[in-house]
Amino acid sequence: MASISLRHVEKRYDDILALADCNLEIADHEFVVLVGPSGSGKTTLLRIIAGLEHASAGELYFNDVCVNDVDVSDRDIAMVFQNYGLYPHMSVYDNMAFGLRRRRMAGRQIDEQVRRTAKMLGMEALLARRPRQLSGGQRQRVALGRAIVRDPAVFLLDEPLSNLDAHLRVQMRAEILKVHRAVAATAVYVTHDQVEALTMGDRIAVMNEGRIHQLGTPGELYDAPVDRFVASFIGTPAMGFLTCRIQRSPNGMELLTDSGRMRISAVQAQALGKLGADQVVVGIRPERLAIVADQEASVSDVSVRGEVEMVEMLGAEQYVHVSTEGGSLTARVPRNQPVRVAAFVTLAASATDLHLFDHETEQALR
Amino acid sequence: MLSATSRRVALILRTVAIGIAVVWSLAPVYWMIATSFKGELEASRLDPTLWPRDATLANYVGLWSGSLPFVSFFINTVITCLATAVIAVAIATPAAYALSRGRFRLRAPIGYAILIFRMLPLVVLLAPLYLLLLHAGLLDSLAGLIVGFTTFGLPFAVWMMKSFIDAIPIEIEEAARIDGYPRWQILTRVVAPLIIPGLTTTATFVFMEAWNNLIYPLTFVTTLERQTLPAALILTFTGQFKTDWGGMMAAATLTTLPLMIAFFAVQRSMIRGLTSGAVAGA
Repeated sequence: MASISLRHVEKRYDDILALADCNLEIADHEFVVLVGPSGSGKTTLLRIIAGLEHASAGELYFNDVCVNDVDVSDRDIAMVFQNYGLYPHMSVYDNMAFGLRRRRMAGRQIDEQVRRTAKMLGMEALLARRPRQLSGGQRQRVALGRAIVRDPAVFLLDEPLSNLDAHLRVQMRAEILKVHRAVAATAVYVTHDQVEALTMGDRIAVMNEGRIHQLGTPGELYDAPVDRFVASFIGTPAMGFLTCRIQRSPNGMELLTDSGRMRISAVQAQALGKLGADQVVVGIRPERLAIVADQEASVSDVSVRGEVEMVEMLGAEQYVHVSTEGGSLTARVPRNQPVRVAAFVTLAASATDLHLFDHETEQALR
Repeated sequence: MLSATSRRVALILRTVAIGIAVVWSLAPVYWMIATSFKGELEASRLDPTLWPRDATLANYVGLWSGSLPFVSFFINTVITCLATAVIAVAIATPAAYALSRGRFRLRAPIGYAILIFRMLPLVVLLAPLYLLLLHAGLLDSLAGLIVGFTTFGLPFAVWMMKSFIDAIPIEIEEAARIDGYPRWQILTRVVAPLIIPGLTTTATFVFMEAWNNLIYPLTFVTTLERQTLPAALILTFTGQFKTDWGGMMAAATLTTLPLMIAFFAVQRSMIRGLTSGAVAGA
């Protein structure tokens, strides 16, 4: 049982700033995902929570107790490593019992706990095996078992599914969530896969270049990204962006590119009004775009014309990548809609689907 | 695609090439062993026999009963080489661990310095070692020989152990830290069992290298009774063995035997698989 609080955490390696002013409040029992591209600092942050690395500045609290100087072994955490880190010279049973033995637990109780955990993960039959005799998925399960058998207050997972094949990954995702509910520990989960983040996290912290860009529920991140990075990182296929001119006229405000125009809502116009600039970046999610006939486009809020660069067929639907003046957009359209590469199409959307970002700072405007 | 004929030709060529290499490298060894079982007359025939006609153990028996202290040579060699292997590995393992896992400023320069010492030719260390041993009063002694062998074997042992330790994923040690174990117990309970194959392999290599070292015993040891087997073999070339080919080959075979045994020991312990399964993809 633990809440975790990071306050102004910073990490430097010589001259390189790996983490800058990271603040994070994680509630007891919560499942928080740290997501970001490689090199974003998410693993470093996790290792600081674990105590395997020390923050160069800032404080880390478990239940309002500062643990900056508390050793790894006294933090009551468990960790699942990206490459599992199992003890190769020990059986599955001993891998799980190793940590319990250190805690001077009675033999019978150790046995009981190991067997109960093994049963929960469906690996009772594997207890006598060595790690090298296991498949990737089984090793992953042992790593998970070794972490939960101790009943830790904090459960840390560093890209635990990245070495599994796609099918197994989906299966283990559900399994980890099930285990998390069963053990009721606070969990911090690191991944570079935004789909994993969206499907697993109660809340998600999106990281890039050592900074936490946004912390929020999956819905908040998807619907209201705070900046262009979060907008482009969350969602598949990724949001498309256009750089537009702001056209101010007596009867309102319009956004223009050489091949498109957008009417915007009063709220959006107000946000833009505060901005002195004459350019703005517009983001549109693929599922909000439709390929329409020209007469239909003329009545739509947003109408952008461009050339089809690539079509990805996904069975039920297709992703159409369109190159326009001002940027590239992706549209997610039904499979039966005929689209040809190199053809010109008109894309339509409504004003409420537009995400506006400051051209200079890339912050969301709202 | 290759036709069936050209595939067969390729197979024949490959077999011939391998055959030549095998015969070339094994012929002298075979000759040594075969001759060691021949009688004096047969060994010195002008039309030598490929296979000993009257195989005899007389040459081997002669080594023990002859005028030269062969048993002493043998024991001297085994003692010095074993001691060298044990001492070198005992010093090299903690050093290698520090070089592999440590995060200190001079880590890389120290590592390379050790490697450079390894690059020095054997003879370069000869004069300084001679002086050191002279002043330490260790010339003409087995202890002095062990010091000399270790000086040369240690850098190699450090680098070899370092590569074995590097191969152990750091996550295993971190997992043990999270499991609550203090550093020294991580070393004894997690790291040690994983580096035992590396330990025996390194020790064997150091042992074999010391065994093959001729120039140190020839330089540092002056009393024949304290000599090592390979050096004694050379020193007595022109003496007792002037005409006794069989005896010389028997001595040479006995010198080779421990090396062969050591080599097969390494082969078995070179199972790199011990750490497999610890991490994904291994």
